Amino acid sequence: MAGKGKRKIISRFRPLFYTLPSFLLIGLIIVFPIGYTVYISFTNMSLSHMYEFQGIGFQNYYRALFVIDSGFWRSLFLTLLWTVINMALQLVIAYIVAVLLNSPNLQLKKLYKTLLMIPWALPGYVSILVWKNGIFNSQFGFLNKVLAAMGVGRIEVLSDDVSSFAACTVVNLWLALPFMIMIIDGALQSINKENFEAADLDGCNRLEKSVFVTIPLITPIIWPAVLITIFTTFKTFDVINLMTISPSPTGAHIETVIVYAYENAFITNNYGFSSAISVLIFLLIALVTIFSDSSFRIKKKGNPE
Amino acid sequence: MNEITKSRKRKKAKTIAKKVGLNTFFVALCFITLVPVIYCFGISFGAKNSLLSSDVNLLPKEWTIENYITLFSDSDIGTWFLNTLILAVSSVVISLAVAIPSAYAFSRMRFCFRKTILNFLIILNAFPAVLSMFAIYRLITNMGLNNTKFGLIIIYSGTMSIFCVWNLKGYFDTIPYEIEEAAEMDGASSFQIISRIVMPLAKPALSVTAVMVLIYVWNEYIFSTTFLTGSENFTLAAGLYSLQASETTGSWPVFFAASLVVSIPILVVFMSAQKNMVSGLSAGGVKE
Repeated sequence: MAGKGKRKIISRFRPLFYTLPSFLLIGLIIVFPIGYTVYISFTNMSLSHMYEFQGIGFQNYYRALFVIDSGFWRSLFLTLLWTVINMALQLVIAYIVAVLLNSPNLQLKKLYKTLLMIPWALPGYVSILVWKNGIFNSQFGFLNKVLAAMGVGRIEVLSDDVSSFAACTVVNLWLALPFMIMIIDGALQSINKENFEAADLDGCNRLEKSVFVTIPLITPIIWPAVLITIFTTFKTFDVINLMTISPSPTGAHIETVIVYAYENAFITNNYGFSSAISVLIFLLIALVTIFSDSSFRIKKKGNPE
Repeated sequence: MNEITKSRKRKKAKTIAKKVGLNTFFVALCFITLVPVIYCFGISFGAKNSLLSSDVNLLPKEWTIENYITLFSDSDIGTWFLNTLILAVSSVVISLAVAIPSAYAFSRMRFCFRKTILNFLIILNAFPAVLSMFAIYRLITNMGLNNTKFGLIIIYSGTMSIFCVWNLKGYFDTIPYEIEEAAEMDGASSFQIISRIVMPLAKPALSVTAVMVLIYVWNEYIFSTTFLTGSENFTLAAGLYSLQASETTGSWPVFFAASLVVSIPILVVFMSAQKNMVSGLSAGGVKE
């Protein structure tokens, strides 16, 4: 009897024993930093108050949310604009490329697909630096060489807000399109060809077939990947940071929220304010995550599995 | 008869035109996609002064390997490579060692708050790692791990741990429990069950998870450029970052040579893992 009781206790603590190492690691690297960030967000910690900082209540949050020229709303608006433009272009271009890849007359599909996947396989920071220094450099960048050959003067793409936003969009598309093309290509191959036969009988043209048959059929298949990409795009940091801020600012100000929080911490050293922005971003992302997750569940419950 | 052959011919001509059009489109698309890579390749094999010439050439007129010689003799790229490799392999080992038992528990055992914790982890994962950097910096400095490999290994395995747990848990869920029950009947210990039965069955998910951690560490630059000082401690990312030339120092052709050298190993890993990527990920999936 006693042995049984002992075993019961052990088996009760077994899950804890199995999960403990991962909880320690997550606690140290993920939970602690979030907690610390929340704590710092209520203080005036900055370069001049590095160690003798004090609590200042909600002042940092007040400044972010209600002082219009604090820059938070501007960066939030830029982030939304960035996300909408990038997602729209990504979906349209990836859809067209994927549909053409699946044309029956294309024999070299495999070769083209492999070549188009290369940007995905390269390290992101290398690609961004190569774009910045190889294509957009104002002295020897390829873009400027082409422009010069066409008789247009040199332009400093990355020092102007609008042109650097466009340049970052191009680079982001270059990085993100391979994944989206692969997802849509996979979805196109999984849909039943019979659906098109009916549409053919009804005399639908290509565009009609896309709008009424293909797109409704692939949407539920690609939706999880699209959702993840929306989050990734919203959280863009590398492209904008490497193109316009590090190692030396180019003069353009296209800070998305995360870049804005980073800048406030590591460049102007307003740790308290930066932390408040971080917390606001986290709340926003967490809310959207919960919302999209539950909408996901409802959708899933809808079709019997 | 004549009419039929005519329409057939027309149809054939139409298919050929379609084929030519499609292929032209894809050749152009692939070319445009690869322009940055080709230009990078061209500069890295060109002479230093060729950058400043005004003619538009993707490839150099005179080929030279002098930039690669400079890269390997004047920079610490060998050390950077070794550092990155140590970081990547250690992070893979630690994150898997920590995530496997945890994912197994979440998949096979029933305990209080199991679902709540799993969902909570997803929300925690929404916090962008860059925003934790300041807090992590304070933490690492206080632990005396600043500018050490061990510090970065903990950061990397911690950042990837939620993904690892979820991805492995999802895959374990698809393995039928009956096999384990049978082994338990035969008197296998739980360690034996995990190592002899679950691990071999979960191989696709394990290798994909490992590759994802490896790629993450190889491609990570913000922590390594912020936390590492001194060229001998650099990773490839921090090294390449430091090779960017300014007006007065450094050499752009060497930077582009380094860009290619840094990319090739991960390109190979990625291309060879890509086939299994889909099965190991979608089956595991970060959704229940």
